[in-house]
Amino acid sequence: MSTYNYVVTAHKPTNVTHSCVGNFTGPQELNLIIAKCTRIEIHLLTAHGLQPLLDVPIYGRIATLELFRSHGETQDLLFIATERYKFCVLQWDADAKEVVTRAMGDVSDRIGRPTDNGQIGIIDPDCRLIGLHLYDGLFKVIPFDNKGQLKEAFNIRLEELQVLDIKFLYGCSKPTIVVLYQDNKDARHVKTYEVSLKDKDFVEGPWSQNNLDNGAELLIPVPPPFGGVLIIGEETIVYCSASAFKAIPIRPSITRAYGRVDADGSRYLLGDLSGLLHLLVIVHEKEKVTGLKIELLGETSIASTISYLDNAFVYVGSSYGDSQLIKLNLQPDSKGSYVEVLERYVNLGPIVDFCVVDLERQGQGQVVTCSGAYKDGSLCIVRNGIGINEQASVELQGIKGMWSLRSATDDLYDTFLVVSFINETRILAMNVEDELEESEIEGFCSQVQTLFCHDAVYNQLVQITSSSVRLVSSESRELKNEWFPRPGFSINVATANASQVLLATRGGNLVYLEIENGKLVEINHAELKYDISCLDINPIGENSNRSNLAAVGMWTDISVKIFSLPDLTLKTEDHLGGEIIPRSVLLCAFEGIPYLLCALGDGHLLNYLLDMETGELTDRKKVSLGTQPITLRTFSSKNTTHVFAASDRPTVIYSSNKKLLYSNVNLKEVSHMCPFNSAAFPDSLAIAKEGDLTIGTIDDIQKLHIRSIPLGEHARRICHQETSRTFAICSLKYNQSGTEDSEMHFVRLLDDQTFDVKSSYALDQFEYGCSILSCSFSDDNNAYYCVGTAYVMPEENEPSKGRILVFAVEDRKLQLVAEKETKGAVYSLNAFNGKLLAAINQKIQLYKWMLREDGTRELQSECGHHGHILALYVQTRGDFIVVGDLMKSISLLIYKHEEGAIEERARDYNANWMSAVEILDDDIYLGAENNFNLFTVRKNSEGATDEERGRLEVVGEYHLGEFVNRFRHGSLVMRLPDSDIGQIPTVIFGTVNGVIGVIASLPQEQYLFMEKLQANLRKVIKGVGGLSHEQWRSFYNEKKTADSRNFLDGDLIESFLDLKKNRMEEIAKAMNVSVEEVMKRVEELTRLH
Amino acid sequence: MWKQIGARESGKLRPNSFTNRIRSHRSSSLLLSNHKELLSPHRASINTLQVDLTEGRYLLSGASDASLAIFDIQRATEYDAGGLIAKHKPVLVDKQHENGHKYAISTAVWYPVDTGLFVTGSYDHHIKVWDTNTTEVVMDFKMPGKVYRTAMSTLATSHMLIAAATEDVQVRLCDMASGAFAHTLSGHRDGVMSVEWSTSSEWILMTGGCDGAIRFWDIRRAGCFSVLDQSHSQLGRRPPLVDPSATKVSTSKARAPPRKVGSGSSSKHSGNNKILKHAKGSGKQRLHPGLLTSQDRATAHYGAVLGLKATEDGMYLLSAGSDSRLRLWDIQSGCNTLVHYEMVRMQSSKAIQLAVTQDSGIVFLPCMTSVKGFDVWSGRSRMTLQGHYENVNCCCYSANDQELYTGGNDRQILTWSPPKLISDDADECGRTGQPSAVDEDNWSD
Repeated sequence: MSTYNYVVTAHKPTNVTHSCVGNFTGPQELNLIIAKCTRIEIHLLTAHGLQPLLDVPIYGRIATLELFRSHGETQDLLFIATERYKFCVLQWDADAKEVVTRAMGDVSDRIGRPTDNGQIGIIDPDCRLIGLHLYDGLFKVIPFDNKGQLKEAFNIRLEELQVLDIKFLYGCSKPTIVVLYQDNKDARHVKTYEVSLKDKDFVEGPWSQNNLDNGAELLIPVPPPFGGVLIIGEETIVYCSASAFKAIPIRPSITRAYGRVDADGSRYLLGDLSGLLHLLVIVHEKEKVTGLKIELLGETSIASTISYLDNAFVYVGSSYGDSQLIKLNLQPDSKGSYVEVLERYVNLGPIVDFCVVDLERQGQGQVVTCSGAYKDGSLCIVRNGIGINEQASVELQGIKGMWSLRSATDDLYDTFLVVSFINETRILAMNVEDELEESEIEGFCSQVQTLFCHDAVYNQLVQITSSSVRLVSSESRELKNEWFPRPGFSINVATANASQVLLATRGGNLVYLEIENGKLVEINHAELKYDISCLDINPIGENSNRSNLAAVGMWTDISVKIFSLPDLTLKTEDHLGGEIIPRSVLLCAFEGIPYLLCALGDGHLLNYLLDMETGELTDRKKVSLGTQPITLRTFSSKNTTHVFAASDRPTVIYSSNKKLLYSNVNLKEVSHMCPFNSAAFPDSLAIAKEGDLTIGTIDDIQKLHIRSIPLGEHARRICHQETSRTFAICSLKYNQSGTEDSEMHFVRLLDDQTFDVKSSYALDQFEYGCSILSCSFSDDNNAYYCVGTAYVMPEENEPSKGRILVFAVEDRKLQLVAEKETKGAVYSLNAFNGKLLAAINQKIQLYKWMLREDGTRELQSECGHHGHILALYVQTRGDFIVVGDLMKSISLLIYKHEEGAIEERARDYNANWMSAVEILDDDIYLGAENNFNLFTVRKNSEGATDEERGRLEVVGEYHLGEFVNRFRHGSLVMRLPDSDIGQIPTVIFGTVNGVIGVIASLPQEQYLFMEKLQANLRKVIKGVGGLSHEQWRSFYNEKKTADSRNFLDGDLIESFLDLKKNRMEEIAKAMNVSVEEVMKRVEELTRLH
Repeated sequence: MWKQIGARESGKLRPNSFTNRIRSHRSSSLLLSNHKELLSPHRASINTLQVDLTEGRYLLSGASDASLAIFDIQRATEYDAGGLIAKHKPVLVDKQHENGHKYAISTAVWYPVDTGLFVTGSYDHHIKVWDTNTTEVVMDFKMPGKVYRTAMSTLATSHMLIAAATEDVQVRLCDMASGAFAHTLSGHRDGVMSVEWSTSSEWILMTGGCDGAIRFWDIRRAGCFSVLDQSHSQLGRRPPLVDPSATKVSTSKARAPPRKVGSGSSSKHSGNNKILKHAKGSGKQRLHPGLLTSQDRATAHYGAVLGLKATEDGMYLLSAGSDSRLRLWDIQSGCNTLVHYEMVRMQSSKAIQLAVTQDSGIVFLPCMTSVKGFDVWSGRSRMTLQGHYENVNCCCYSANDQELYTGGNDRQILTWSPPKLISDDADECGRTGQPSAVDEDNWSD
């Protein structure tokens, strides 16, 4: 039974809805604050670009994001209002480096109808009040007192019902709003009101302007000295103030975003729906506005928000394409554009459709999404884990260690690759033809296993074997010096850096050597109680050749110790507990923070924060990476150091936002790894796995990998066909040539490897592609693409005609083999018992695939079912059909073979407006609806009465806060069949904001445990702005609000792993289990995505 | 439609705008339904219709022959014309129940919290509360005259009061919790035809009388606090709205007392309404402090107020009067908005039941044998629904389905719905021309 579901985000929202610039984190620091629907990101502007400071979830969909500065403050405060009528004022706490809540509250009302055009939240430029337009006919005022504290809110009646925009005017002695509205006759006007805080009412404002551009939708208040407001229309731009009225015509366009360039408000950037960026200049003589001027700057992504940062740097946030950091140049480039794109931030949103495929046939799912809209439409391939792009491979069995060496200390590239086996050491080198061949270093001993190798200062190389330490010149490759341990004390483990060697011999002797020119000098030695299992002296201090600390892992007492160098005094030790010895220790620094990593023999990894001065170890955390012993190695990619943990589940450890992250590498089992940066294979890694030595480059270090294929048109539907190895998409292309916008609709065939368009089929005029399916029919094994279309006539509200087109792929071309006209739009197509099931307007229709006498095939309708408003989403399983209706929730139909009829079995009588459905198992169906909720319903076959059997019982409810467009069964991660996690069924969903999420159906026992954990986490982890998690996740629509049930918030649960140790213990104690147990179980769940 | 779905999918159209647009488009295209039929069991004129508020699934109807019926409007009992026309037979009919009403049922309303109870009022001077599952009368209130209308607050969380408009000048509040009268509200100078609870506050009641007055009551306080004046139309300087947070505080404070009064009076006085505290002026009307005598005389209509309907947002009230006028009132200020609705003939003897769409876009008004749909804001006539053969008494709008149900003296309950495109493929099982099937049914009994 899939009653108990766990919802977790695999890819966070990337749709940028709001952005603003100000001094939030410090009086001298300029910040860019970005809202991505349910998250905010705070960036700091530095000389090198944008530096991320904070990325936090908000328990609400952000409706308003505004920075403001109350009187006497040197820093800005952040005002956030959510779509569920909560607001908060946030302040930066510079010491803790986090946001604190200054004020919060609820601004919902019983009275009034929620606005149709979106909520408006504005702050008076003189910081006297906050204005909110949340309900038609009401303007809510939250006044500030003299100290900048918020006072009690009140409502003012606003007679204008269809409000399009409201802004505060600058430079008014009393707070004054300007309202852009539409009247009963669809004409648009602006009007001003003064807000009288004393009377809690409006006073007629200084001016008004009637009969504006019919497309006027945006107001830009102009700061002093000019004052007034700019009204941006589709065909004109108007400047309006008490004393002036200036208008200019513009090329028809829909402007959605603006950014003010100068503090005096004389220049503005305008971004329109076709992605063009204009500069609007207020022409003035002294303080008098004399006219307006507009100039095209160039093309960007379609902007939803524009923030002018500084020095001609501009952040363009986009909902339909990638957000960008651009620079405005003084001189145009060769194409006449002043815009230079410096950086792109990938945006998956809006994901209108996607499919889950295994393109590389590795047993791991990849998601291919239809992303973006208008000209920014693209296909994105989303893959989990870090991939290795194999460049060369040799078969080599039994590798025990690998090191890369340079031919000179200051050489940029590695030359040698030392590969150690149980009783020999081989050396590979790049020859002149840039090929890897077996070579020799004379001074090295190649008849024994090498324990460690390293480049050393003064163009030397170090080789450590069990019997000696050899110092070799990297130029002459001759042995320069050799150090021997005391007889009978062979070397067990050893490590070295450019100028130091630390080794351990039998009996717990620790010996410290220093490398001088041509000489190895024993500096110190210490005798420890037990044998040493692992060592590390990786330099992480200022000197990259020396380390002042050494990490030592011990047998018997199972501990790690930190010694200082060169005196070998014990600084700290930590007993690991348990019986598993440390197998690899590593000193390393991520984002400037020193850590000690310690890997155990059972696949666990401990990490500590390390104090470089005292050697103190704090903040111990334990994670499980695999089941086999781990070897840790550092490598660098893109000038950042990461750690590779080689084991049965190879993992890359990296840091982001000062937090350690673990990302699995898409390889089965890796025994050893070393960086090998040679001229022929730059930035590569040498990896020993399963009898192979592979050299390859590594992907960017991040969890999800996104490859974006720009289409220049908007893909609406996608599906994959295994047999022809192709994708087919329904897409539309906007043509904005000439005066009228026209759309062209296509079915396109793409190669599933190269994503080249192989073939296109143009649909008729007014014909839209609505659904696509790859299927085969009974008694015909060929795979076909079926496409459902609709003729969308301008005069018709609901399509009354459509087609089902059946294509075969021949020679990688689309061949139309059959077509069937329908009496409406084909919203959905499903393969069903070897037949084709179509949802056509309000009807479900089943088609047979019939052989005509002449050998051709045709679709013939078999039976149908009426009784829906619009059957938009259909899924099938066996003989069952689950329909998601436009507004009547989910209903369950059954196909009766004997009678050849489709009948309704049961229905959910709630009035949910659906956006996606999926069948979780025979009895449980999952739905997503219009108000960003998820719910599950259960078939009640055992009900006592007809009424009970005829009703789908709602068993789960949850507020996701995201608009889901599609569910698909599948998984983003490699499913290892032996693990418990491999048995958990998952569904992937894609949303408008670019979120890819996973819904996993947990076993009851696990669910109950996690539910308890979630309840405890709610008490410990407080929402930003004091917003309540419980309220946020409660099912919410126009009619009701109900606590979430049978769904868990995986994002909250997985944040357990980021908690401080004492918090974890607190929670574990409250749950009566050990911290390790909780961590283990949460980590298991993190492997779902 | 496909374009809008596409726009919603890609985030260009806000989901709530999407639903609003589709709802308003559907509600403005109502026609006699070509796919849904309610088979009326009533043998006399139908006076009242209401769809339940919890699921939007059950339609309650009451008729002049003292019969009651409940229809499942979501699930058809049988299909006609190859599954195209859904026929809905009543799931419950009660014609001559032993404890039933003796005369015409003028009003029937659902208990707003669930469908387990409903309330009926009749010309036999009784209000009865029924248990839906057992069809038993569980409570009976004897009223001083014919009952015209009853209403229950959809918002109420702290009271279970049935407001009753009767022939009598006083409006009575029947407390379902105690089975006794909680209050009597005195102020009208003639019988009261219509009663409506506010949709924004559970304490505000609005009544319309045969004296042409519409009175607003705060049931926590004595007397009426506002009387609508048709000549009061200048919005001018508006008073600020009541601060919602302040009202919330006061509601929580005031929550306890009414209960106490209710239970106390039930044990002591068992249904005797005269003893209640603010009726002690016995006959003499007490004015709300601040309400001038001249205001108390104001009228909303020339003639009786036949029907009242508050819009769902709680900001406006629509009233229909025997002066053949429909007026739109701003509730906060009590102003007549002066929206000019086309003059229509209305039957003037009977209370009528208006309906308004969820988005307050269209108001449906029974006008003799037809139902008119007016644009609420402009007053323009948007549609005229003709199908009944005699006067229409009541209409009820289902927000879930965007369907209108109307009942009239011709004993029919008609369904008006957005037209469905009948996408029947030719090679399917043959079917008869269905529009005629609908027409036939108007004659069917």
